[in-house]
Amino acid sequence: MKVLRWCDDRLGRLEGVLLIILLSVMVLLAFVQVILRNVFSESLIWGEILLRHLVLWIGFLGAARATGEGRHISIDAFARFLPTRSRTIVRVITNAFAIVVCYFLLRASLTFIGDEIDFGSVVYGEVPSWYSQIIIPVGFGLMMIHFAVRIVTGIHGLRTGVPQE
Amino acid sequence: MNTWVIVVVLVLLALLGAPLFSIIGGIALYAFDQEGIDTSSVIIELYRIAETPTLIAIPLFTFAGYLLAESRSPQRLVTLARALFGWIPGGLAIVVLVTCAFFTAFTGASGVTIVALGGITLPILMKEMYPERFSLGLVTASGSIGLLFPPSLPIILYGIIAEVSIDQLFVAGFLPGILLVSFVGLYSMRVGVRARVPRVSFSWPNLAAALRGAVWELPIPFIIIGGIYGGAFTATEASAVTAFYVLIMVTFLYRDMTLFRDVPRVMKESMVLVGAILAILGTALGLTNYLIDKEIPQQLFEFVQGNVESKVAFLLILNLFLLVVGMMMDIFSAIIVVVPLILPIARAFQVDPLHLGIIFLTNLEIGYLTPPVGLNLFLSSLRFKKSILEVARSVLIFIAIMAAALLIITYVPDLSLWLVNLLGIQ
Repeated sequence: MKVLRWCDDRLGRLEGVLLIILLSVMVLLAFVQVILRNVFSESLIWGEILLRHLVLWIGFLGAARATGEGRHISIDAFARFLPTRSRTIVRVITNAFAIVVCYFLLRASLTFIGDEIDFGSVVYGEVPSWYSQIIIPVGFGLMMIHFAVRIVTGIHGLRTGVPQE
Repeated sequence: MNTWVIVVVLVLLALLGAPLFSIIGGIALYAFDQEGIDTSSVIIELYRIAETPTLIAIPLFTFAGYLLAESRSPQRLVTLARALFGWIPGGLAIVVLVTCAFFTAFTGASGVTIVALGGITLPILMKEMYPERFSLGLVTASGSIGLLFPPSLPIILYGIIAEVSIDQLFVAGFLPGILLVSFVGLYSMRVGVRARVPRVSFSWPNLAAALRGAVWELPIPFIIIGGIYGGAFTATEASAVTAFYVLIMVTFLYRDMTLFRDVPRVMKESMVLVGAILAILGTALGLTNYLIDKEIPQQLFEFVQGNVESKVAFLLILNLFLLVVGMMMDIFSAIIVVVPLILPIARAFQVDPLHLGIIFLTNLEIGYLTPPVGLNLFLSSLRFKKSILEVARSVLIFIAIMAAALLIITYVPDLSLWLVNLLGIQ
């Protein structure tokens, strides 16, 4: 149990560090672009493209964090009224469902990337699209891991009587 | 397997609190699979996240909003607003409204307003002898009142989903937003006068001090409002400038936060919300594509047209429907899921997409407050340690006032459209 939590925590930190780096790049680059466009009437073509792909990466890493912290958007109005124990059981079930969906989305994204590689599509210049698209399966994979950890800790909590936060 | 069984199971799972992106993703995967289309089509649509330039505004504005909320900006703004409006009868309530509206616009109605500002404003209201129930209601209701002002995230998201110009939407929301704030404001003034709340007299030195205190916040509205309304730059560009400016402001100009300790924490914190929104958006893009392919909005439209005669009736039904949606769902999912279905119907009833957006957002704003499941009720109950019932009772009057404003917004399209035409925003 401890090892599992430790790993999940480490993974979460790694995602966090990546998020911080990517968002920092985004804030700076987006600002530089505005200055270039409005003051010097030019802009970096690759800059626009990089910014758009940063949104994709930030989105998936943020979604992985949302999974790790149990903060995905959901209709939690009804579960809120359940007693703690039943709420944990319900969470285990809904998280299990989410894993299944993420698994199929992961598979679908691998097919997608395979097609893109065969097609030889590029993001810009010589940069192949899958360099960016790889975050899609990676992101779903990360979410699966976090959902799985939440299920295991949930069940563990049920057995030991310590509820999940 | 029988489709109906699957639908029932999915709805049940959604109501039990399964992450909405998994529900939407599940439906999209199943739908494509049933049609014999490879499920990678879901990902093709999801990948449009990286092909929509306006989406850049979402992480940038969210980051700026979280930075503001975690800095000492709330205190500075309340001080400034008190110096400005404190002398008006019931002025303190106006102070609460204005600062909350500003904050909600910036933090995108993610509930940060109640958390960031409620702790400051509620004690001040109580200390100045406003009735308790009114104070609680006002603080709760104000938690989403700035939704129609730029740079609110729900507006940006509506623009992206409905493929309407975000710059136009920002202008369209201005007068309806003012209407909502002034309706609630007038009521609050009346309460203030009746409760014989002592007035503070206006003082120039006081205002000057407050202005000096908030001197670095002052340019922000000008960046947004001047930039967008004046046509100097787009919403996306405004987000880039705002995020950068706010970052410099809180770290260097005010030194509220340290660049290497506090800022990374806020970055992570804010991107969790962005990730949660984009997960839903990404999967919903696939589902929407399928629905449009199957002409579901068309069928829905024919059904509605068969049963609803006039535009007036349609708008009324739309309002009721959206209020229920707003009670059940958070604003982001509601926009992403419901807008594509409603838009073609509204268009057929000659409702302008801009006007529809404002109606939509106003409804969802009220939905935040409606028992039993409005988000603001829960946030307020948690924040102020009051029972849900107590909070719900305190907002009833505010719901009524906002509903009145909603009716005007719904049936006077010019309120939303006049300024857009006047300024000729593209």
